[in-house]
Amino acid sequence: MTPLLEVRGIDKSFGPVQVLHDVTFSAYAGEVTALVGDNGAGKSTLVKCVGGIHPIDAGEIVFDGRPVQVHGPRDAGELGIEIVYQDLALCDNLDIVQNMFLGRERKNGLVLDEATMEELAGETLEGLSVRTVKSIRQRVSSLSGGQRQTVAIAKAVLWDSKVVILDEPTAALGVAQTAQVLELVRRLADKGLAVVLISHNMNDVFAVSDRIAALYLGRMAAQVRTADVTHAQIVELITSGRSGDLGLKNGTAP
Amino acid sequence: MRAGPSQEDIRRHNLGALLRHVHLGGPTSRAELTSKMGLNRSTIMALTSDLTAAGLVREELPRETGRAGRPSLVVRPESSRVYVFAFDVGPDRLAVARVGLGGTILDRREAVRRRGPFELEELAGMLAGFARQMRRKTRADTVCVGAAAAVSGGVRKGDGVIRFGPNLQAEEIPFGEELGRRLGLGLPVSVGNDANLAALAEHSRGVGVAVRDLIYLHGDVGIGGGIIAGGHLLGGHEGYGGEVGHMVVNPGGRVCGCGSRGCLEAEVGERALLEAAGKLGGGQHGRDAVRAVVDAADRGDIVAQEALKRVGDWLGLGVANLVNIFNPEMVIFGGMLREIYLGSAAQVRSRMALHAMAPQRERLRLRTSALADDATLVGAAELAFAHVLADPLEVLARVTG
Repeated sequence: MTPLLEVRGIDKSFGPVQVLHDVTFSAYAGEVTALVGDNGAGKSTLVKCVGGIHPIDAGEIVFDGRPVQVHGPRDAGELGIEIVYQDLALCDNLDIVQNMFLGRERKNGLVLDEATMEELAGETLEGLSVRTVKSIRQRVSSLSGGQRQTVAIAKAVLWDSKVVILDEPTAALGVAQTAQVLELVRRLADKGLAVVLISHNMNDVFAVSDRIAALYLGRMAAQVRTADVTHAQIVELITSGRSGDLGLKNGTAP
Repeated sequence: MRAGPSQEDIRRHNLGALLRHVHLGGPTSRAELTSKMGLNRSTIMALTSDLTAAGLVREELPRETGRAGRPSLVVRPESSRVYVFAFDVGPDRLAVARVGLGGTILDRREAVRRRGPFELEELAGMLAGFARQMRRKTRADTVCVGAAAAVSGGVRKGDGVIRFGPNLQAEEIPFGEELGRRLGLGLPVSVGNDANLAALAEHSRGVGVAVRDLIYLHGDVGIGGGIIAGGHLLGGHEGYGGEVGHMVVNPGGRVCGCGSRGCLEAEVGERALLEAAGKLGGGQHGRDAVRAVVDAADRGDIVAQEALKRVGDWLGLGVANLVNIFNPEMVIFGGMLREIYLGSAAQVRSRMALHAMAPQRERLRLRTSALADDATLVGAAELAFAHVLADPLEVLARVTG
């Protein structure tokens, strides 16, 4: 199986500090790939390189089998890569439909095509089996944390995305809402998208992921199938970069 | 012995198959039915007109196809006219729903069941009362075509007798017969094990659609299960199959309600979790108490975390055994096991990595129930519709005649 998104040998430095060392990472269509690592391991930097926020110093990004250049978020968007950041970037004073189409509004001549946007937003939420929001004309300020996360994810999906990257989507949520978001994450992948899930919560990671990629001090310690590893092995990879046969040898990738 | 099925047999089979398509797949155009069923257009037309005349489906022009040519008529189930009653008897909950053809829940009633001995007359009376209330609100042209109940216990296939139900405190109870008598609709009430029926529900309308081999695990007070192999539910010789909750995972372990020790249910069920979390007898029980433990663990309560880990370990061991034996494509966690799985997935999957064999676990998909708390009720409705789908016209003639 060829990965839909692959980064090969990425280096990234901020001034004198090298944050990513020769990082290779793959995400597959129809699968959830969890990206784990300690604080400062380089998870967010890696994601921002893929999303075109940070230019890469070395290495390449391969999308659907061909090398691509990602010079900005717009390039990433055109490829079908959407990132849902922790802060969600939703506007409190706008309703759900307005948020989902923010900056990419549909027009009918000179006026906004509200009817079509409402229909598309409704269909997207329906397609994801989202039943937790009462009205899609509700202001985002009135939504709970889980509902906001849902809207942010639906927004990413609306644009015919192929890869959706979620940065700690359950971090600020209670148990019931975490369950709903995890099920939504799983459904995205089951619909054929490649999903990348950044999380510190090992139960969330094991609950929905097909593969786990563990970063350790800016290096990819291992990328493994979730079915083949134990919690203890993943914790070892995160904290020491290796676990038995898995992981880094002498601090570098095997 | 005849050489083959008669024309009448074939027609009956095709009518049922077409009705099943729109019952499970929703409104479908004649053109799609033609290709899905592999029959020619005139046959499809004849079948739909028979079903339309019987009032089971109706045909409509589609909204817009965006394509050239005369649009194909869309066949939709008569959901608001043709319905069944579905009942669910759990340890803590009684539910009744009026479910339309096509699977739409049209109306429902729920009540809390107090844990205690199974009082057949009181319980059947109450359920039948709910059904009567809902029936009074229906229009005159509606027709009830069946009734079925999901119960938390082992049910004899032939006559709907609850043979054993430790969590309902039920033993040898002629439940189907009594409920049918109380309903007074002249319809038999089919009875099935709740987890078996929930498995069928997830298979036909939930997360397991198009999955031919799946195992559904249902957590309530105990642990129930439904095994679907090659598209069919494994009922066993007399219908008691699938009791995965009584698979012994820890010989000499905790005492189980069934009288044995170390059953999966005894190590993973509600009582085990609450006791490990130090919450047994704290006033709360049932789903709320389980949710409270998962919630406490999420907030950092170490005792709750340990309790959940312990339960997750046993659950993973149980699932690993099942996966090794049945090689399912999917395992579905339903009822309270949804919360338990999500809250202890690291343990469950670690156990599976250690104990499930590589070929069986590699492509296995672990999922939570899509129908959630309605799974058992939806399953009961499907059981009630089963004989209608087997012979639509005969059943309709009987209930209206």
